[in-house]
Amino acid sequence: MGEPLLTTEKLSNHFGMVCTARDLDLSFEQGVLTSIIGPNGAGKSTLINLLTGHLPVQAGKIRFQGREITRLPIHKRVRLGICRSFQVVNVFPELTVAQNVMIPVLARTGRAWNPIRSLSRETAVTRETEVFLEKVGLQGERDTPATALSHGDLRLLEVGVALAAAPTLLFLDEPTAGMNPVERVRLLDNIRELACEGRTTFVVVEHDMDVVFSLSGRIIVLHRGEVLCDGTPAQVRADAKVREVYLGDDVSDLFRYEEE
Amino acid sequence: MKAEARNAAAAVVLLALCAVPFLAGKFTVYLAMRIMLLGIFAVGYNLLLGQTGLLSFGHGAFYAAGAYGLGFFGLHVSGNPLFGVAAGVAAAILLAILVGYLCVRHTEIYFAMLTLAFGMMVFSLIWNAREITGGDDGLIGIMRSPVSFFGLLEIPIGTDRQFYFFILFFFALSVWAVHRIRQSPFGLALAGIRENARRSEFAGVPVRRYRLAVFVLSGAFAGLAGSLEALLESNARPFMAHWTHSAEPVLVSLLGGLSSLTGPLVGSAIFIAMREIIQRFTENWMLWFGIVLLVIILGFRGGVVGTLSAFFRKAAAPGEG
Ligand SMILES: Nc1ncnc2c1ncn2[C@@H]1O[C@H](COP(=O)(O)OP(=O)(O)OP(=O)(O)O)[C@@H](O)[C@H]1O
Ligand SMILES: [Mg+2]
Repeated sequence: MGEPLLTTEKLSNHFGMVCTARDLDLSFEQGVLTSIIGPNGAGKSTLINLLTGHLPVQAGKIRFQGREITRLPIHKRVRLGICRSFQVVNVFPELTVAQNVMIPVLARTGRAWNPIRSLSRETAVTRETEVFLEKVGLQGERDTPATALSHGDLRLLEVGVALAAAPTLLFLDEPTAGMNPVERVRLLDNIRELACEGRTTFVVVEHDMDVVFSLSGRIIVLHRGEVLCDGTPAQVRADAKVREVYLGDDVSDLFRYEEE
Repeated sequence: MKAEARNAAAAVVLLALCAVPFLAGKFTVYLAMRIMLLGIFAVGYNLLLGQTGLLSFGHGAFYAAGAYGLGFFGLHVSGNPLFGVAAGVAAAILLAILVGYLCVRHTEIYFAMLTLAFGMMVFSLIWNAREITGGDDGLIGIMRSPVSFFGLLEIPIGTDRQFYFFILFFFALSVWAVHRIRQSPFGLALAGIRENARRSEFAGVPVRRYRLAVFVLSGAFAGLAGSLEALLESNARPFMAHWTHSAEPVLVSLLGGLSSLTGPLVGSAIFIAMREIIQRFTENWMLWFGIVLLVIILGFRGGVVGTLSAFFRKAAAPGEG
């Protein structure tokens, strides 16, 4: 396996008095599907925001494939192979589904600068866009504007736009929140399949424990900005501290199906 | 099918524009030229406003850069109008790179205010550097020498009818170029930035660089329009850089509609024609012009073109369904 894909060193973040990341030393290995869980407000989204450049790092360091990226702008991290989806749908509302997915494909293949060539002639890009639409099951909605999609389809598009950047490391922030069971199963199957293909390493924030334990090779439990437990599903299930937090605190949060 | 209809319509309009100087009087020809100049200014500007979602109140500065660029080039280097236009556009591009570099890191209201501030600076520079720019008199005595292709071929543009075709050439070229840009991958990336700049970054698009690129591009069109106006009016005036002039492409885009290519063009025609008509009836033309603009802009949401095309789409829908 060799060197980990991404590592952090004493990564910290505070919002006023609230500590959302305290001296986090994490590392993500290639090919290990990792889940991040924890009660609401534990700092899961904040961690993704820090690693992907959405939030500036207040203290600590981030390395990706041995290279320091702590202060690298977002689009450069994406070019290196780090991408994400958002907990709250964050797509291009007035553009069609195909256009939404096409933007990352164009950017990645370096074709987005061309101001003269007609998009309809970019057949390679169109074909690749189709592949990603199929992966999330939105081929049928190709020409629908994002604003006209149902909530579940919007969630699928959210993930599709992230996938289309063909990242090496992909953070999915509650990808299945608010989906109906059919969509959720299809998306999870696709994630599993893509993870097996091995080009993309997934890190998923998820509230549904069935999903977490069936999907993950590793689980990180965050609580108030600290790592409460980090290990295989079996280790986490057996961990006394985790039980304490979830049983003493907010059981409902962990096992409830999150409605966004 | 749709594209064919569009091409046919474009060909008809082009033919009609070619016929204008043969059928219409001197003044109408002049107005048509003014409409085309504003049209070039506005379609280029709308790449920034309509396509990318950035509101600039400083594009008059690039218009002026084009006019003065052509003027200085004509006075000191060569009278060939093609080179002059190229020099004007180059001057506008240089200025736009400088201003854009300082502005694109900000967005929305800050961006708009910064462009306004830079525009005002350029205006007062031109106004005060009297020895160089002629101050409030402007740069006068700009000549329309024949277009010469290395002495092999000379095309005179001295008369208004001849010059009309010179402008028509650049107008058609500009509209075609903007059309291509809107359909291109670059155009889609710009639309993505308009829709969601943050997500664009997460799609791997270097947003600031794209903003700068489209800022400079729209500045180049402004410079083109400016240099052509300098040739038309035989002078370059500081008021070209004034914020009231910078507001014209904004108004015109709102009038015609932000989301189409034809919107700013139709808007330009309405703007020039209405100003002309209202000026004839009243001395307080600014007041009445403002009121009429307000009514159209508020009455036609999405602009004249946007409203009409939505209307026709609705009218056609029952038949299709
Ligand atoms: N931009 C911000 N400014 C101030 N406080 C913030 C900001 N973003 C998050 N917080 C706070 O930081 C804490 C952690 O938020 P975060 O979104 O990381 O939690 P989370 O683990 O993703 O929770 P959830 O399960 O609800 O998504 C919360 O208390 C939140 O209110
Ligand atoms: Mg969250």
